[in-house]
Amino acid sequence: MILHHIQTSPNQDNALSCAVHYAGETDSFLLSGNGVYALLEDKWQQALQDRRLFLLKSDVQARGLTKRLVEYACIDHNEFVQQALIHKKVITW
Amino acid sequence: MKKLTIVFRRAPHGTPHGREALDLALLSASFEQDVSLIFVDEGVLHLMPEQQPETAGAKDYIATFGALELYDIETVLACQSSLARFGLANSELTISVERVTSNNITEQLQAADEVLVF
Amino acid sequence: MSKFIIQVNGPAYSSSASYNAYQFSKSALESGHEIIRVFFYQDGVFNTSGLNSPASDEFDLTRSWIELSAQYRLELVNCVSAALRRGIISETEAKENQVSHWNMQAPFTMGGLGELVTGLESADRLVSF
Repeated sequence: MILHHIQTSPNQDNALSCAVHYAGETDSFLLSGNGVYALLEDKWQQALQDRRLFLLKSDVQARGLTKRLVEYACIDHNEFVQQALIHKKVITW
Repeated sequence: MKKLTIVFRRAPHGTPHGREALDLALLSASFEQDVSLIFVDEGVLHLMPEQQPETAGAKDYIATFGALELYDIETVLACQSSLARFGLANSELTISVERVTSNNITEQLQAADEVLVF
Repeated sequence: MSKFIIQVNGPAYSSSASYNAYQFSKSALESGHEIIRVFFYQDGVFNTSGLNSPASDEFDLTRSWIELSAQYRLELVNCVSAALRRGIISETEAKENQVSHWNMQAPFTMGGLGELVTGLESADRLVSF
């Protein structure tokens, strides 16, 4: 079980596309930085809909997305540390 | 000793990612780690033959890929579909790689102790 | 309690990666975990320039790393070759290269990629930013 960490918007970089393409079925995703913008687009909402997904709360708040992304699990840095340990490894794309 | 997998996902020369990934790969191998490399997405462009990086003011680190065997880096995978996307499906490549499916790459990522993406 | 190694590849100012690396490190240390070292590679070395001078009302990441290091004796190590080719240089390298200025000093140190690899070997987790 891997935590795939994506820090960039999918329009800026192929990190999310690569992570989705090569992730295993039981893997999770953490979007941080401009990575959280992916969930404003249908394409990426669908690509990630059956995935265990976390968003970094401070980055969501900073970008004015708290209400729009209310249905997703937002985690703080303490919870990020916990998730890094719960998962077998963290791959930052 | 850990199983380290280094992923090349970006094109060479335009950014230093590939060069610094290779530096890390060789250094890790010289520190007795079990190193494997994977080329995906535009990273497969590292495998394009006849590159001359110096003409664009870049260091010719591509030539250094020839040293992988000396460092005992034996697992070198390239994504078939990425190769096909850039017209490299049937081309000769700069180094000998195993052309694998996306599923093979997923398995390789799962099996590694740590994965570093460049 | 677990042992982390943190790799920072993003620059101090022009990406959010380094800020998140700092906050992650701080949270891990506050929760009682160990960070073997923070290793600055690629553009991450820009975190360590003593000449970074943000305005007084802005978050000062370089200063924050220094404070975190003082509080927890956190090792902050640059990849020396990545640093030198980006103009991040300590007094020692400045003298070796006959350059009259330098911009990196303690608690940041220069090290080799080997310090990343040995850190990786003894850590429970690598987290890169």
